[in-house]
Amino acid sequence: MAHRNEDLTVGEMLRRHGISRRGFIKFCTAAASAMALPPLMGPAMAEQLRNVRRPSVVYLSFQECTGCLESLTRSFAPTIESLIFDVISLDYNDTLMAASGEAAEAARTQAMHDNFGKYVLVVDGSVPTGAGGGYCTAGGKSAEDILREAAKGAAAIVCVGTCAAFGGIPFADPNPTQAWPVTGIVGDKPIINVSGCPPIPEVITGTLLQFVSTGKVPDLDEHRRPKVFFGNTIHDRCYRRPFFDEGKFAKSFDDEGARNGWCLYELGCKGPTTYNACATLKWNGGTSFPIESGHGCLGCSEPGFWDKGSFYSALSNPAWGKAGEASPSEVLKLAGGAAVAGVAIGAASAAVSRMRQHRQEEQAVDNDPKGG
Amino acid sequence: MSRLAEIPIRIEPQAKAGGLGGGVTAILHEIVRLLERLATVDERAAIDLRSLPMSPQDRTELQRALGEGEVLATLNAEGISKIHETRVPGVWWVEHRDQAGELIAELIEVTRVPEILASASDEIAAGARALREQITTGAAARAR
Repeated sequence: MAHRNEDLTVGEMLRRHGISRRGFIKFCTAAASAMALPPLMGPAMAEQLRNVRRPSVVYLSFQECTGCLESLTRSFAPTIESLIFDVISLDYNDTLMAASGEAAEAARTQAMHDNFGKYVLVVDGSVPTGAGGGYCTAGGKSAEDILREAAKGAAAIVCVGTCAAFGGIPFADPNPTQAWPVTGIVGDKPIINVSGCPPIPEVITGTLLQFVSTGKVPDLDEHRRPKVFFGNTIHDRCYRRPFFDEGKFAKSFDDEGARNGWCLYELGCKGPTTYNACATLKWNGGTSFPIESGHGCLGCSEPGFWDKGSFYSALSNPAWGKAGEASPSEVLKLAGGAAVAGVAIGAASAAVSRMRQHRQEEQAVDNDPKGG
Repeated sequence: MSRLAEIPIRIEPQAKAGGLGGGVTAILHEIVRLLERLATVDERAAIDLRSLPMSPQDRTELQRALGEGEVLATLNAEGISKIHETRVPGVWWVEHRDQAGELIAELIEVTRVPEILASASDEIAAGARALREQITTGAAARAR
């Protein structure tokens, strides 16, 4: 009897697609590099993966903008095609799958039934609980009910993006839909947060690959993020770090310091308090990352980043850090009072920042020998 | 002259480009240490160049320091990979690209020969089976 695709090991699936062992070692070497694992782990991971059955993955999208999925589909190493076709069995994703309507929902139910206790649940987006769950429904069920049902049989849950991990923008004050991160709804399953707005594609695929190849939840930080990707701050690994150490800072986006590529700390870069891999993995297949394009880090992979005040006020400004240091549930508790105050402080700091920028522009005009 | 071309472009002086600075020397010291381990206890090792905040100048400097040796292998599997032994025996520069030509991994391997080049036991056995079958089929065809 012919094997069903979902019964095949990764190695058998690779052979079926004409991918050689060397091709797969290369794929795993690139993935290990992306995951900052020891480089010789690539061949070892290839060997392990070749003998495991492809795990079922159910990908649920709730209150989100699809930016995370857009990011995921641009993964270079491993590519999304190789991940979907060779390493995992993506049984449900309402954006990528060909089926729609009842057929799509039936595929989800079937995959969850057949792989109960073994499938990986990926969640993208926050879960709105306001209006009786009416802000986000599919097939007549609320996002919260779908999540609770899907979480029951999941081996682990991977929260893709800051919305699923920490609530993200829907969770930001005043949180009109009463949105929650997954950790606010599900408490009895291993949860891996892959935060970022969006996350780096290779961080998403790398986390999935690592879980699939080892069958274990990787080492996580206090926000449940894999330490291999979120172990260092952007600042720790930033190529502009030598300028920070030398005390060389850009004071505006078009001054001499900015043109010389100096540190963007005084222009509001949140690199020193943001844990992510942008400075090493970079974006678009390793092309660059925001700081390389001349803009400071926004801190998008940190909890509450949207409620922390201006992106353009320096970290030494006391407005930054208040919301970010609290856990999502603490932030939610604060939502009625302190978070509102935080927005007020943020608005004030933004005004100060604008005044400062304006003053610098006036100074620049004064200093301009052509008279301005 | 168009307005765009009037915008002055200044080339970054090398000293201001950030990157590793004196880090290339540190990598070379690390390679020496790994070579000693390879020579004494036959331990393989690798350095992932993409994990280091290297500037293009650092990369060029490292390439110049290690040079090119006698072996250059091209692997055509899911994209082209170039694997060459540097002037220092046992030190291999490995560059993996995907099918679109994007660099997906770049390593310095300290080993007698990179593992990806060697044939695997199960594939050797499968190759032998396939070749035997080919000979048998060929003989049968000639007999007809």
